[in-house]
Amino acid sequence: MAYSLRMNVNSQTGALENPATGFDALAQSLAIKPGHFDEMRGGLNQALHTAPCDPWRQFAATLPSDASTELTRRSASLARQVHDNGITYNVYADTNGPQRPWSLDLFPLLISPENWQHIEAGVHQRAVLLEHLMVDIYGPQQLIHQGALPAALVHGNPGYLRAMHGVQPVGGRFLHLAAFDLARGPDGLWWLVGQRTQAPSGLGYLLENRLIVSGQFGTAFDALRVQRLASTYQTLIESLRAQSPMGPEAHLALLTPGPYNETYFEHAYLARYLGLTLVEGSDLMVRENKVFLKTLKGLVPVHGLLKRVDDQFLDPLELRADSTLGIPGLLQAIRAGNVLVANAPGSAVLESPALLSFLPALSRQLLNEELVLPSLPTWWCGEHSVMEEALANLSRCAIKPTYPGALNQGAFEAMLGTQQDPGSLQNWDQRIRGNPQAHTLQAYLPLSQMPTWRVNQNGKSGLEARSLMLRVFAVSDGQDGWKVLPGGLARVANARQDLIGMQTGGSSADVWALSQGEVERSTLQQPHLTPESLIQRKRMVTSRAAENLFWLGRYTERTENALRLARLTLESLHGDEQDCPALMRWLGQMAKVNTLVMPEVPSPQQSAHVFERALIESLGSTEGATSVGFYLRALKLSASNVRERLSQEHWRIITHNEESLFAQWRTLCQEGRCSTQQAQQLLKETSDQMAAITGAQTDRMVRDDGWRLLSIGRHIERLSFMARSLNLALDCGSLATNGGFDAMVALFDSDITFQTQYQQSREMVALIDLLVLDQDNPRSLSWVTKTLRGRLAKLAGSPDHASSTLSRIVPDSNTWDLMHLYETSESAMAPGLPFGAEPLDMQVPYAHFKQLLAACTEAAHRVSNDISATYFTHSERLERSVGS
Amino acid sequence: MRLRITHETRYDYVPAVETAQHMVYLTPLNRPFQQLLNSQISVSPEPAVISSALDVYGNTRHFFAQNVPHAQLIVSASSEVNTQASAVPESHIAWEATCAHFQYKAGQAFDAGSVFSFDSPMVPRHLEFADYARVSFTPNAGLLQASLDLMGRIYTEFTYESNSTEVNTPALQALVQRKGVCQDFAHIFIACLRSLGLSARYVSGYLLTSPPPGMVKLRGSDASHAWVAVYVPDFPEGGSWVDLDPTNNKAGWYSPGEDYVTLAIGRDFSDVSPVRGVIHGGANHVLHVGVTVEPVGNHNEPTTPLQGGGQNQSQSQRPQG
Repeated sequence: MAYSLRMNVNSQTGALENPATGFDALAQSLAIKPGHFDEMRGGLNQALHTAPCDPWRQFAATLPSDASTELTRRSASLARQVHDNGITYNVYADTNGPQRPWSLDLFPLLISPENWQHIEAGVHQRAVLLEHLMVDIYGPQQLIHQGALPAALVHGNPGYLRAMHGVQPVGGRFLHLAAFDLARGPDGLWWLVGQRTQAPSGLGYLLENRLIVSGQFGTAFDALRVQRLASTYQTLIESLRAQSPMGPEAHLALLTPGPYNETYFEHAYLARYLGLTLVEGSDLMVRENKVFLKTLKGLVPVHGLLKRVDDQFLDPLELRADSTLGIPGLLQAIRAGNVLVANAPGSAVLESPALLSFLPALSRQLLNEELVLPSLPTWWCGEHSVMEEALANLSRCAIKPTYPGALNQGAFEAMLGTQQDPGSLQNWDQRIRGNPQAHTLQAYLPLSQMPTWRVNQNGKSGLEARSLMLRVFAVSDGQDGWKVLPGGLARVANARQDLIGMQTGGSSADVWALSQGEVERSTLQQPHLTPESLIQRKRMVTSRAAENLFWLGRYTERTENALRLARLTLESLHGDEQDCPALMRWLGQMAKVNTLVMPEVPSPQQSAHVFERALIESLGSTEGATSVGFYLRALKLSASNVRERLSQEHWRIITHNEESLFAQWRTLCQEGRCSTQQAQQLLKETSDQMAAITGAQTDRMVRDDGWRLLSIGRHIERLSFMARSLNLALDCGSLATNGGFDAMVALFDSDITFQTQYQQSREMVALIDLLVLDQDNPRSLSWVTKTLRGRLAKLAGSPDHASSTLSRIVPDSNTWDLMHLYETSESAMAPGLPFGAEPLDMQVPYAHFKQLLAACTEAAHRVSNDISATYFTHSERLERSVGS
Repeated sequence: MRLRITHETRYDYVPAVETAQHMVYLTPLNRPFQQLLNSQISVSPEPAVISSALDVYGNTRHFFAQNVPHAQLIVSASSEVNTQASAVPESHIAWEATCAHFQYKAGQAFDAGSVFSFDSPMVPRHLEFADYARVSFTPNAGLLQASLDLMGRIYTEFTYESNSTEVNTPALQALVQRKGVCQDFAHIFIACLRSLGLSARYVSGYLLTSPPPGMVKLRGSDASHAWVAVYVPDFPEGGSWVDLDPTNNKAGWYSPGEDYVTLAIGRDFSDVSPVRGVIHGGANHVLHVGVTVEPVGNHNEPTTPLQGGGQNQSQSQRPQG
């Protein structure tokens, strides 16, 4: 999130209380910092024993008498839900970096009906005013010509897009969504601190907050008549459709910068909740001024974009040439009226804090109204007399950049004059005089404080006061008006830090806007479906999603293979057959071929001990050897790119498995060496969880072409792994030994079948029958090739019947013959076999078998390449800007 | 002077480009002292769509897109203009008064000329530019006189050197190293003026390739050229800009001279890049640009076609003047 307002926070943490106390008693310990409005007691500098006022009094009345115990329980339950729902906030754009769980406080911020009506009216009025401003700024610019608005705030603002000048957006309006940040001053009045229009975040997080917090306080939620949120989201989506060039049949998408964005969770969440296709810039393309989505079945038109990408990155052809997040030609499509973009590019000019000081006069001029919600006193230093006035009060101001997000020299983060020493203030004074336009001063406002529930490290719990800011959203109402979402996102300051902002350790709270009347109850309805739109929606697998699903499948299988091989190897190194040279040779080579250990590691025959240590130490390493941990992480990354297609449970198992493997492995390695038993236990747990992941892939995903590619990915990997393992075993001669034979059967996960069908007869013919020809064994080559051919043939009505061509690459197991494969040598090629053209070496045992294995390995390789070329090429980020 | 301009841009790609979208500024402006007589743009391979529109400053830009694989792109622009020489009008306004005139005061009508006084992507304001400029912009100096003086200083104190900078070399770096090509000089000049609080814009254009007999060939005549226009509030109505070419130390009203062709105006190069595009594929490319500006008709001796910039050069297509 782009905001980071500095503020003062209570340094005294509220006293931590004894358990089993009613809320009223607890409330008496809640110390509010002097000078800050007390949300709970409804006033400034209230005595500690002052009872909570409405609506907090009503809220407290719904809590049980042993509030302390109960609140601690609910607090734990809430934390669990946040974790279980996988709500995250990426702190850094780092693929390996931690995703921090979303931070949510137990108590909602309660807003009385009277207060909410006031906020609603004020936000509504401001949204109307902002749209008027956009119309003038991108049209006649009369306000600038009259001197009502400084040119510096438009022409001097990097957020002003010249490419949008004179454009009449389709549907007739620039803004469809606006966020307003409010703060409550010591007098109990709400003040406007800032506004976001470019790509405001919060609409997804606040829904999750509501879902979780209302569940913790069900009784209070009903008793207090909390206004519901769903119908406003419905209004937004219906409105976007209605104003898009296709009307109600429009295909809308949510444009995200991608999984590395800090609020990606909410993009995926919102897309799913609102029924929009989640797309990245590279999923879209512009042809003849129209926007299309690249899917497995070709190009699908897109008529509207709810965007979460900043303006400057939207179109590398006309805006920032180095952007990889945009769609070249998008601005042409917008100017041609072929796509609705919410909000229209160019609204970043509205985000300048300097604008706030001009809004009261602009409201009078444009709306003939006084502003209902006052702006925090704001001084833009670009006007000389204003600058002089403001600089005299520098120590009581926040200093903010006039052009937030600008990247030029002299860009800075907002900071508080109240926290600077005289020397530093003097430096700021000079700096501001050197470039007055770039600086805006805002009066420092002590923020109101609300009760929060805190459990400290010793398990003691109690109320603590925290400062807060409120973000409220207004959305387009389908015509030319606005609807204010009755609720919002409260951002709660960290006790130790002075910043409100999710990136700096702040938290959030649900916002309950209370009503005096009836509460409107509705849940989000899926958009109006016609047979055509239904068919279109069902087919929609973007090329990017397809590629990620394919790799998700491959990494799933690789993880499983690495797990099974690692377990088998550790077991064999200590088992009855540890002295069997052929088995040890095979295991040693398998570990190297499958990169579980680095090539320079001694073989088990050279030093079983060193080999074993290397194997164990590589399990959780993401450098050097690529073992279980590496594949598990790759699996998670692929999954994170298609999160909107996975159920929450599915995603949760994936992240949990990855996190727990790395955490345990690290602990074990830190404690000294990880013993064989410990490693085995870790691998076993990981395997168990992998079974849940593959189960979810098999049972819980829609079987569309996306799923088919996932399955194809798995089977390609399985085919290649099995064929190479068998081939290596033939080379090592391990199959002729009991240990080697059993190990191979175990590696194919076929021990049970083998025991029931072949009564321990370790004959080569039995092995070929079970692992190669058995049509019912899902680990036999025959079954794998058959499945692969079937899936490939069913894949998307692809260009030029590519799917059937693809399926023919895979050997047809119907042509395989047990006797033929079993033959140890033959002087000529058997007729009718589709694979292999080289004459056989008569000296090689099982030459036909080996030839089949080579053909399988080769087929896996070719199918993978051909799939990439056929289906994924247009998802690659190969675009580059050229200029001269 | 009647001038014919041909400007050919050729990209050779390896491997071939699959799809391409381009935006070009290759049509000269039609304005006082320069009449656009005709102008054509041809693109190979034939684009699926080609369209033209005026941008926010009144420049003509073309968009085109190709959806077929191609190993070569050729953009040929040709046009004819009539140009007239124009003397610089008188101006008496002091530079400080001009700055004050641009300052915002609530309710006071705004001067549209001031929109070129702000930072732009390639021309940030900076104290070092202001310091360099103040040698010319002494207290109470006339805006026009001081600007002409600054132009002369850039002309003499900077070394014109091809390939001493790249297309994205920051203006500040070029200021420090005291050398560059016409684009750098234009950017430095603009940055100096804006850092003082004045308004100046970037002009993209051409110069006559071969000078009339007896005249010295000017720098930048074999490629596209660039210079600067400064806003002078007390000039006659409708023509408040004086064009200054720090590369050749020439100045004039609307244009530095009869042998100049004005293509487009913007805040800096990034607003009016002659050819800009996004390609899909084509990992490597070689760029050839050829520019020829020659007199038409009996106004002058016909120029020998092989002279001047007729031969293609492998160079980055940026104003080399």
